[in-house]
Parts: sequence; structure tokens; C-alpha cells
Amino acid sequence: MLNNVNRKIGLILFLISAGYLLMSYQLPTYPYIPVDADAIPITLGWILLVLSVALFFSEDKDTEEQKAKRHIPKKDVKAIAGVFVLALIFITLLEVVGFFIMTALFIFSSSKFLGYENNLVNAIVSVCFPLILYSIFVFLLNINLPQGVMPF
Amino acid sequence: MGAIEGILTGFEVALSLEGILFVLLGVFVGTFIGMLPGLGPISAIAIMIPITYGMNPTLALVMMAGVYYGAVFGGSTSSILLNAPGISGTVASSFDGYPMAQNGQAGKALAIAAISSFIGGSISVILLMAFAPMLSSVAISFGPPAYFALMLLGLTAIASLSEGSTVKALISAVIGFMVATIGIDPQTGTARYTFGSTNLLDGIDFLIIALGLFAIAEVGYLIINRHKKSITDAKQLGSLKLSKQDMKEIAGPSGRQSILGFVLGILPGAGATIASFISYISEKRLSKNPETFGKGAVKGLAAPEASNNAATSGSFVPLLSLGIPGSGTTAVMLGAFLVLGVQPGPMLMGDNPEIFWGIIASMYIGNVFLLILNLPLIPYIARVLTVPRPLLISLVVVFSLIGVYAISFSTFDLYLLLAFGVIGFLMRMFAFPAPPFILAFILGGMMEQSFRQAMTSSNGDISVFFTNNISLVLIILSVLSFAFPIIKSMRQNKKEA
Repeated sequence: MLNNVNRKIGLILFLISAGYLLMSYQLPTYPYIPVDADAIPITLGWILLVLSVALFFSEDKDTEEQKAKRHIPKKDVKAIAGVFVLALIFITLLEVVGFFIMTALFIFSSSKFLGYENNLVNAIVSVCFPLILYSIFVFLLNINLPQGVMPF
Repeated sequence: MGAIEGILTGFEVALSLEGILFVLLGVFVGTFIGMLPGLGPISAIAIMIPITYGMNPTLALVMMAGVYYGAVFGGSTSSILLNAPGISGTVASSFDGYPMAQNGQAGKALAIAAISSFIGGSISVILLMAFAPMLSSVAISFGPPAYFALMLLGLTAIASLSEGSTVKALISAVIGFMVATIGIDPQTGTARYTFGSTNLLDGIDFLIIALGLFAIAEVGYLIINRHKKSITDAKQLGSLKLSKQDMKEIAGPSGRQSILGFVLGILPGAGATIASFISYISEKRLSKNPETFGKGAVKGLAAPEASNNAATSGSFVPLLSLGIPGSGTTAVMLGAFLVLGVQPGPMLMGDNPEIFWGIIASMYIGNVFLLILNLPLIPYIARVLTVPRPLLISLVVVFSLIGVYAISFSTFDLYLLLAFGVIGFLMRMFAFPAPPFILAFILGGMMEQSFRQAMTSSNGDISVFFTNNISLVLIILSVLSFAFPIIKSMRQNKKEA
């Protein structure tokens, strides 16, 4: 039954719209308000529900190029996941360690992880880019970025 | 303020030292980012928004307009040199531009692109100057019902923004609208879908959506293509010089297609992509030697280039005068206005004439800059294509993360950014177009408010939308604009079957 990609996505969207509708019906309503806060969400939920059914029964008309986009080699999935994890670490430690150190570490490690071999250029960019960005934000735009363990 | 006075105010802004500097900066950065494979005007504008925090809104918006048309021009460069259009609007430029580059005439192709873009940009800005104020003066009398109908017309762009399945485009838009409902409802104070989190009470910032769905999602595909070869030697470009014959050949198509591009740019959803394709096809039909198209024809490159630049100016007409975006890019541009505390629309011309006219006047200067900056600097700017992709990927990620952090100072928003990056990547993977999402996200919130205001003022009587002449006309136009592309694609499918 779920042999076609549209069917799988249709089913997921159906569940999402059902969940959204359930939450929409639980929104509080008030008297004397012609269109309450739940009206548009309920309408949207039903529209998505209908569209998910339409998608479920529609043919997969994607071009060959589009279909090829769905097949990502395992090593690329690993590379994407790796950068994603590095970004998560960056976000988690940003306010603790500080913008400058975290950004430099992120650029260097992520570029290296993705196969950039020239360590010298990588190191120069990793240090200069956050330095320039930090100067622009802090000194030019007066927007403070987390300094973390750094003295400035 | 009269039109002449307005234009003079605009030029006063655009020709001030700061004005010139920011136009130059915008055009340069736009060209630079637009040239990077995968990053188009949407990403360029979204990435640049954080830089504008705290800036004078007029100068910031003048710069952002420069980023927009600079990025459209930059996109042509990667189309011509790499056959890798950064955006769909420059795909048609690669049809003849890339074969020219393959024949060792990359420099010539880039020069043709620069000159045709200049012609397209210049003609269309004159048209913009004429049309935007006219539309503004009509729209000034709009009440909530007409505004609702206007937003509806803007939303109908979704039907034409779907490159493949209309159902997928509609799903994308509905989900974008749903995301817009997150946060406190301004009319009743009800918290919707916040799951008890205080971080979601204000709703989700549009920049998170724009950077997530476009820049971060693109990173995924940049990672997959990280080993792709790029041009490594700028010497491969060849001469930039154009012969008299070339100039003659450029003149006709550029002039004609500028006007067509502008008109198509105004229409919701049409934009640069459709404009460039229609211009390419119409120029091919007009040509005495249509067989040369696709093999490096000068006209085949000049037509889409003039047209996509003219469409860019055209798309500013509804944005500036009505405050509604007709495309994903102008939706992000509208977001940039809002971030800076400026509400585009009919009141803009009266309330902030320096912004309204400043942007228009800056386009004249921006087009000249694009030409003088790009012609001699093309060989150097093209070196951006040699930036190693692993490094580029890391920089785009950092820039997006910091851009979001600088508006909210909250790491929660950064996690959200990554989440939308994943959503954007999956959408691309399964052919769900992202522009309807962002368009519905931006228009959805405004549309809900005008709808409810109109209904409150009429005591819940829905006929308020049909008794008002303007809203009735706009609703009819919306139905037509929505149904036409769908019927057309259904007919096409039938024919193919």
C-alpha cells in the first residue's frame, strides 16, 4: 500500500494534520468574537487533511532528476549528519565558551571533516572570519555576541 | 509630496556619500553571494539582514535592493561559467551562455550578460518609477476587506510557483501558513501551539524560516556536491570585448524583453524565472536564425538576462506600493523591511518618501555600478567560484547561525533554525517547493488579521468581502490567477497523456 513515495508522505501529512486539528479544536474560544483564534487553524488543518489525501492518491510525477535527488549516497548522509552534529555542539556551547573560540573551532573542524586538506588556509580563515564578524557586530553594529571565556 | 519632488528626494538619498557606498556594497555583496553555486537572491538577502540591524532603515533597504539585483546578476555568472544556476531565474541564461563559455568566449558571454542586465535594469526602473506611485495612490483607500483580498491575490502566486506538483506547492503553503499561526494571537491573546514554551510566544521569526529553508537546506546539497569541480583558472574566461555587431544584436532583444520582463515581474508568482523563459522563447521565435539558439547565440543570452533583471524591478511594484510580495524573494525582502521597522505599502510613499523614492533612485545608480563594477572585475569576482566548497559550507552555516542569534540572543532559535534547515532539505529532497512556504508564512499572518478585522467590523457578515467593489474585483482576480495555472497544467497533462 505504501509502495509509492507520495503515499508515505501523504500518510505522514495526514497524521500531522490530524494532530494539528486536535490541538486547534482545543484552543479556547470567547463569546462576541466573530472569528476566534481557532477559526483559521481549524480551516488550515482541514485543508491539509484534504491535501494529504490528494497526495496519497496522486501519482509520483517527479522527473528523473528529482528522483535521483532522493538517493543520497551513505557517505554523504554521514557527512551531512556530521556537520549537523558539529552545528549542534556549536549551538550548545556558544554561550558558555564564547563566539570567537566556538566559531573558529567550528569552521576549522567542519571544513576538515568535509575533506579540506589545506590546514594553513583553513586555520587562517577559521581565525580571521570570526574576528572580522565579531568586530562588525560588536564594534560597528553595537550588537554583543557571547564572549564566553574570552576577556573581550 | 509630488512625484518630481519625490524623485529628487530619492536621488538626494541615493547620491549622498553614504547612499552611494551602501548601494555599492549591496551590489557587490549580492553579486558575490549570488555567484556562489546554490545561493540565490533569497539566501543573499536573508544572510544580509543581520548586517542591517541598527542601521538607518533607508540606507539598509537601499543596500538590500542592491543585494537583490546584484544576486540576480551574480547568478547568471555561475550559470554561464559552470552551468550551475544559483537560482531558477538564471536557468535560461545558461542555455546560450554556457555553450559560449565552452567555446572559449566566457568573457564575452559575461559582458553580454552585464550589458543586457544593465539595459533591463535601467528600462524597468523607469517603468517602476511610473507604476509604483500610481498603484500606491489607488491602494491608499483600501480597508481590511480589500487588504484581505489583496493578500489572497498575493497567495495565488503559489499556483504558479509550483514547478512540479500543484498539490505539493499547496501543502507547502498550508504548512507555511500553519507555522505563522504559532504564538500569541494578537486579537484575543490566546497562545497557539506554543507547547508551554515562552520562546514561542512571539511566534517564529521569519529569518529563522528564510535562512533555514534556503541557506541551511542548501548546505545539505552543497555537502553532497562538495567534490564537484569548479573553475580553477580565471584566465579561461577569454576576452570581454564585444564587437559592433554584437552590440547591435543585443540592443533589440534587450529593449523588447526588458518591457516584457517588467510586466511579468509585477504579476504575482510570475517573477524572474517565468520572465526569462518567456523572453528566451519569444526571442527565439522572432529570430531569423532560431537554430543558433542553444549553441551560443548572443540574442539567446541577452533576452533572458534583460528580462530577469527587469522582472526584479517589476516585483518591487507590488512590494513597495501594496506591501504584498509576489514571490519568495520579495517575501524575504518584505521581511527585511519589517525587521527594520518599515511597513511597505500604500502608506510608505507618504510616510517614508525617502525610503520609497530612495530605493527607486538607488536602482539607477546600482545598475550603473553593476555595469562598471562587473565588466572590469569579472575575472576577479569569478575567483569566488574557486573557494573550496568545504570552507564555503562552514562559512554559510556560521553566518546563518550568527544572523539568527543576533536578533534573538537565544540558542533556542538556533535549534529551530537547524530544524527548519532539516525541513527545507527534506522538502527539496521530495520536491516540495519552498517559496510557497515562505510566501504563505509572511502573507498568512497578515491575511488572518485583515480577515478577522473585516469580519469584526461587519459583525461577522461575510458579505463584506463582496459588497466592497475593490475586494470583489481582487477576489475575482485571485480566483482567476489561482485557477489559470492549474487548468493550464491539467490541460498539458491531458495532452501528454
